[in-house]
Amino acid sequence: MTIHNIYIFDHKGGLLYYHEWNRIKQSGMTSEEEAKLMYGMLFSIKSFVNKISPIDTKEGFLYYKTSKYTLHFMETPSRIKFVLNTDNNAQDMRELLQQIYSQVFVEYVVKNPLSKLSEPIQSELFKTKLDAFVKQSPSFLAKPL
Amino acid sequence: MSRSSSRIDTKKVNSELVTLTYGALVAQMIKDLDNADDVSKQLERLGYNMGIRIVEDFLSKTGSGRCLDLKDTADKVQMAFKMYLGVQPNVANWSAAGDEFSFILDSNPLTELVELPDDLKNLKYCNIICGVLRGALEMVHLDVQSWIVQDQLKGDSNTEIRLKFIRRLEDSIPAGED
Amino acid sequence: MSLSNRPKTSILDKPLSKGKGEVSLSCFALLFSEVVQYSQNKSSTVPELQNRLHSLGYNVGSKIIDLYFVRERNAKREIKLLNILLFIKSTLWKALFGREAEKLEHSNDDENTYYLMEKEPLVNKFISVPRDKGSLNCAIFIAGIIESVLTGTGFAAKVTAHWHKGTTYMVKFDESVVARDKQLEDK
Repeated sequence: MTIHNIYIFDHKGGLLYYHEWNRIKQSGMTSEEEAKLMYGMLFSIKSFVNKISPIDTKEGFLYYKTSKYTLHFMETPSRIKFVLNTDNNAQDMRELLQQIYSQVFVEYVVKNPLSKLSEPIQSELFKTKLDAFVKQSPSFLAKPL
Repeated sequence: MSRSSSRIDTKKVNSELVTLTYGALVAQMIKDLDNADDVSKQLERLGYNMGIRIVEDFLSKTGSGRCLDLKDTADKVQMAFKMYLGVQPNVANWSAAGDEFSFILDSNPLTELVELPDDLKNLKYCNIICGVLRGALEMVHLDVQSWIVQDQLKGDSNTEIRLKFIRRLEDSIPAGED
Repeated sequence: MSLSNRPKTSILDKPLSKGKGEVSLSCFALLFSEVVQYSQNKSSTVPELQNRLHSLGYNVGSKIIDLYFVRERNAKREIKLLNILLFIKSTLWKALFGREAEKLEHSNDDENTYYLMEKEPLVNKFISVPRDKGSLNCAIFIAGIIESVLTGTGFAAKVTAHWHKGTTYMVKFDESVVARDKQLEDK
């Protein structure tokens, strides 16, 4: 199992943070372009999922899956968006996303007086904690399969 | 996404640390700005900044979803008061239209040990709370107004903070799309 | 809002609270975060910002003296240098931060200097430590509190905060304070 990369977007759609662990193939775009496309896709898929839904949705879009990877999505009620790409074996990614939100993002970005909530995250403390957090999760394996 | 409520924010600090730190800040602002009205405004703005952060902490700890209606919002904010300030206000005085209500506090850690001197009687010492409410609710897409109706520092028997719902805010559209 | 003419009980007529009230750590962290940002907006350089945080701490400290000596010590002050330092390390720290400061050391090189150490001060818990460590340490706020408590109880000192084994507060007493303390010892 493996975790490929993470994107965090603020409530306005700006990219707060990107990091990759086992990303084997690059998209060939600049990271800004890629982030913009990612946000645009999430925005569309979200509104589509809600529009087309035959019953009342509570959380709406959760993930999509291809033959090779799964994109897990979590949005907080404050519209901060977390996106995690993993292989198809990764389990309980919502739990992990929720933990990243509450135990890493809130602790080391929200409560850090030196970081602004609408600017890309610079905090070394956040970076190290996130890295450690992801690496200790059972879904993370350093070597891609 | 439900987190057990037993885990909610167990870490505490002495409320006097907050009282005195806040007091020192207000005193400093009065020195810097030299005008009670400007200080009140600045406190509200500062509260707003706190609000947009505190809401993340609240959401992450409670795992709470979006509010169903304003009543639900009132309940959640009431819970947040308890979590963050250790005091539980009453929710009261709903307007007929149901778009306005008050939080009534009979004690408030911010004003513990505080007495306003006569030349600062206009100062809205607790305006920071109004700011927090505005900031926090804006992040969950509720545009509200909030102001102080009664103030213990001005001789009222409790502190009443009014909240008025203005409108629902929409999701922002990705850059470059209309 | 009407400014009522109701007779108001003065704050001095009320009993002193026990000081056992608690608020959440997040609440303090976020308030402190605003304190730092407000001070930052008012300063153009790091030393200026440090001074502002220090002086805010100083104001907090000056309120604490009376509050804590009345509450914890029956209004009796300390007269011995070491005792006031221990008071700060234990009683004051416990009351404010819920635990004692980790270490108190006397400098080897300078008689007038003491070090109070803390691995992770409450105010720095969520702050990313800058890589060069030469810059801002927000615990300067706490240094202000210590300086104020010492100076206000008759032990004039300068207190600064440094990145060293976590955070180290350097307490440098006035010559006269140390001399006076020696005289007391001789008696």
